[in-house]
Amino acid sequence: MSAAIRAAGLTKSYGRKLVLDSLDLDVEEGSIFGFLGPNGAGKTTTLRLTTGLARPTKGSIQVLGHDARAAGNAVRSAIGYLPDVPAFYEWMTAPEFLSFAGGLFGMSGSALHDRTSMLLDLAGLTDVQTKIGGYSRGMKQRLGIAQALINAPRLLLLDEPTSALDPMGRKGVLDMIASLRGRTTVFFSTHILSDVERVCDTVAILDRGRMVAQAPIDELKARYGKEKVVVEVTENADELAKEFGERPWATAIARGALGSIEITVTDLGAAQHDIPAIVAARDSGLARLEAGEIGLEEVFVELVGGGR
Amino acid sequence: MNATLVFARKEALEIVRTWRIWVLPAIILFFAITAPVLARFTPEIVGAVAGDQLGGISLPPGTYLDAYGQWIKNLSQITLFALIIIYGGIISTETSSGTAILVLTKPMSRGAFVAVKAIIHSVFLAVLTVIGTLATWGLTAAVFGHAPADPVWSSALIWLLLGVFYIALMTFFSVLIPSAVGAAGAGMGAFVLLTIGALWKPLSDHSPAGLAGQAAALAAGKPVPDLLWPVLVSLATAAVLVAAASLLFRQKEL
Repeated sequence: MSAAIRAAGLTKSYGRKLVLDSLDLDVEEGSIFGFLGPNGAGKTTTLRLTTGLARPTKGSIQVLGHDARAAGNAVRSAIGYLPDVPAFYEWMTAPEFLSFAGGLFGMSGSALHDRTSMLLDLAGLTDVQTKIGGYSRGMKQRLGIAQALINAPRLLLLDEPTSALDPMGRKGVLDMIASLRGRTTVFFSTHILSDVERVCDTVAILDRGRMVAQAPIDELKARYGKEKVVVEVTENADELAKEFGERPWATAIARGALGSIEITVTDLGAAQHDIPAIVAARDSGLARLEAGEIGLEEVFVELVGGGR
Repeated sequence: MNATLVFARKEALEIVRTWRIWVLPAIILFFAITAPVLARFTPEIVGAVAGDQLGGISLPPGTYLDAYGQWIKNLSQITLFALIIIYGGIISTETSSGTAILVLTKPMSRGAFVAVKAIIHSVFLAVLTVIGTLATWGLTAAVFGHAPADPVWSSALIWLLLGVFYIALMTFFSVLIPSAVGAAGAGMGAFVLLTIGALWKPLSDHSPAGLAGQAAALAAGKPVPDLLWPVLVSLATAAVLVAAASLLFRQKEL
């Protein structure tokens, strides 16, 4: 499969501040790609380089087979882009802005009208008559997503698309992104890990301008993940947590909500075998014993959390 | 419709639907209307205010040439200042607010983005100049009973060329300087330099520096023998400024 985005040794600095450091990135066409990183990791800068709004200091970035620096109308025609804080002509209404955006792609007539109506519906703005200047942040974000989709792009670039949305809006956007699977390459940056886990095939994790991991989510979890056991007991939780931590199968202990004990384990079978006996020996009752897979959050924390 | 025309339509709509439709038109119409009235009544006003202090000196009655002169003088000073301030952010307002990003990540070239803005606002200024000149011409005819077309229209046309030159200059400064206030300051500086430069005849005769003086001379009904050079040089300089702004904008990171 060909790459929708391919970066090699991509470096960007502003004066003496290094924002991206030799980034290598491959985004397969048709994939939904989550670009993760804490604030200031370089996600927005990568997207600006991808769209040609900024130029690399070193290295290269190709978009749909073309150098992003020299990308002309042919490449821009195939891209939809939502910046992190989309800005609109506030004197326009949403239908006017979508018609304007479509017109820039050469769309007109009934095709543009139908597409505008469909996207207004998707953005939940069909009956909104006010000018964009009166919109809330969430409404602007939804309109931003709609304008990024006006040309039915081959590559959709979204910078923090769900950050300003309420839970219903977030669900709507994630469902929309998931519905594009296989038809459009979606590359979206975020620091909301649950969003990535919900819709992405592949993720890249960026930290302080450096790529720390890039792989399909399952592979990443298998590579970095250990299994986890959550235990709830009726008494002596502190002593039991300490005792679990001394067992050879336990690598980390954390206290969860409502006094639960979360144990990261290397041997799930051994843990499940030993835990009830340890609880019984301490004259406590076992209220809950649950084995779970480690989440992306734990992987993320393990990869970027060290040294912070 | 291609992207350039769509963007041009947006730019024109933006003029009609925002503060832009009020500020510059109000300034130009105010001067268009007041010039003939002030020219007609200035001797009476001065006489009434000065009382006996003029020592029996009586001011000559105003003529249509005074009205035209007043109109062009106001255009060449206050209206140009307004133009410089208004267009200090012609490009930078869009880049700093982020609206340019949504346009320029679509199939719209940066060169066309800059050129369209300079052209549409020049056309807007041309329309305002025509309306203002019609108003002052008509009022002059009403007030003085005699208003030849040549002096007022030829001087207004030369001033329009100066206005277009300043729009091109501000387009360039607005790409070069990210702050609208900073660009307006640079525009004011250029205005002062051109005004001083106009004192040197070779520069005045062959560049935009002399256009204000030539427009004033035409409005006063004086002959201006050779307008070709300043007109051609001003048009060429305006085109070069917009081209330079486009090239510079293509190199900029947004």
